[in-house]
Amino acid sequence: MSMKHPYTLGQRLLTIDKVCVSYDRPILDGVSGTIDNIQREGMQQGQVVCLLGPSGIGKSQLFRCIAGLQRPTSGSVRLNGSQREVQPGEVGVVAQNYPLFNHRTVWGNLMVAASRNGHTAEQARQRCLALLEEFEMLDTAKAYPLALSGGQRQRVAIAQQLLCSSHFLLMDEPFSGLDPLAKTKVCETIIRVSTTNELNTIIVVTHDVESAIRIADTLWVLGRERNAEGKPISGASIREVHNLAEMGLAWDPDIESRKEFLEMAAALKRRFATL
Amino acid sequence: MTHRMGDPSRRRTVKAINLLLPFTPVRARWLQLMLLLQACLAIALWALSGSTTLPSPMEVARAWVDLVQRQGLLFELWASVKVSVIALLVSTLAAVAVACLSTAPVFMPAARLSAAMRFLGFAGLTYVFMLASGDAHSLRVAILSFGMFVFMVTSLLAEIAATPRERIDHCRTLGMRHWRITAEVVLLGKADVILDLMRQNAAVGWTLLTLVEGMTRSEGGIGAMLLNQNRYFLLAGVFAIQLTILTYGLVQDALLSLLRDSLCPYGRLGQEGVPA
Repeated sequence: MSMKHPYTLGQRLLTIDKVCVSYDRPILDGVSGTIDNIQREGMQQGQVVCLLGPSGIGKSQLFRCIAGLQRPTSGSVRLNGSQREVQPGEVGVVAQNYPLFNHRTVWGNLMVAASRNGHTAEQARQRCLALLEEFEMLDTAKAYPLALSGGQRQRVAIAQQLLCSSHFLLMDEPFSGLDPLAKTKVCETIIRVSTTNELNTIIVVTHDVESAIRIADTLWVLGRERNAEGKPISGASIREVHNLAEMGLAWDPDIESRKEFLEMAAALKRRFATL
Repeated sequence: MTHRMGDPSRRRTVKAINLLLPFTPVRARWLQLMLLLQACLAIALWALSGSTTLPSPMEVARAWVDLVQRQGLLFELWASVKVSVIALLVSTLAAVAVACLSTAPVFMPAARLSAAMRFLGFAGLTYVFMLASGDAHSLRVAILSFGMFVFMVTSLLAEIAATPRERIDHCRTLGMRHWRITAEVVLLGKADVILDLMRQNAAVGWTLLTLVEGMTRSEGGIGAMLLNQNRYFLLAGVFAIQLTILTYGLVQDALLSLLRDSLCPYGRLGQEGVPA
């Protein structure tokens, strides 16, 4: 437990158990990891795990397996400690280009998601209204996605996925191609979503080390074993786990001004070259 | 001083020259003005050409009045419009149904086969359609529907094939499955494309109509009337009928565009000249 931000661990929320994906060669090779409910006194503290790794390492394959969009060659991904493998629709997915239904308005996009979860029309309406209010987007309810800015699209995409997933949200490269100010806004959005419900769990797939340290309570570093010549000899697996909560680096709004932040970012970037 | 860039007349000249450059953004009003000017220029060239083979605009106008008053041009046009609209609806419904079914692997080969039928000649199919149809009107509708269907289904299958995987994944992440995904991605997601294909297919239908009406001339129609004028080398009448078809086609095109823009206003968002 960190002394700076005390916390305890509760129930298991997600288990990734020896996930392997192979095509003509192994892509993922026994990826294992768990996410437990983080509890902090007097607040709704969700979980933010960042999955780091260089480009082409297999992050997207793992992303698809966790989302239930792809069955691993072997191994499994299970939610809430259940024995059943994750199914599509149980984990929200916000892909890199924030896919939305361009033929539906913002309101239509949210309603189609809300009504998929067995809610009555009135319940769905209330949930959509609450989320639009939460994301300060009530004035764009009648707009079509193509008329929104990138940031607005991302918020609608997050809201849509939150409406029909069970507290889990996967985000693929949400910082890609953004300027520093836009990155800060995305970080704020992720932190806001993670702190609106105790069970909200966000897994962010990224290679942006600094942004990952800013928002995460845990970092998973994906890498491959290499031989003496430096050539990869296996598929990717989680090579390192950094418990930022334990290290006292999580949930600190001024993290970027701390020496540990800079040291960790530099060390991870150096590590990337060897993964 | 007249050559400075700040001079308004100089600026206008520079803008006019830019109209010759590809992809120069231009206001709708400028486009309308250019269209009007070019149409007037074409008519003037036609009138002043002094060609002995082509009828003059006045001869065409007189032939048009004669066709309307004595040969019932507008009634024949109406008969053709009815056939064309029915065939357009039938072919669209059939093509959309086949395109939706093609998303299930078992129906894909049949869908591709139906698209491949666009290579078949009408002449070889007339007998089959004649046996299957009860009367000349049904025969026309059947042949025209088939002609439009094969092109529409080809375009729709290409549209479906171009659907990125993440769009299907997006539906799956929202808990949608199988035919619900087809409904969202193909029926609703491509509604603007379907309406645009209808617009294009309506034009294809009019090019096929002459051929189809030629097979069953006793039923009348503007296509049959055109063939009759052609047969007796009544060129002024031919031009008058062609211009009538052209005018109707442009009106129909505008109406279908209006329908598409009204039902699918998102379709034009982000296009050149349309603010996102």
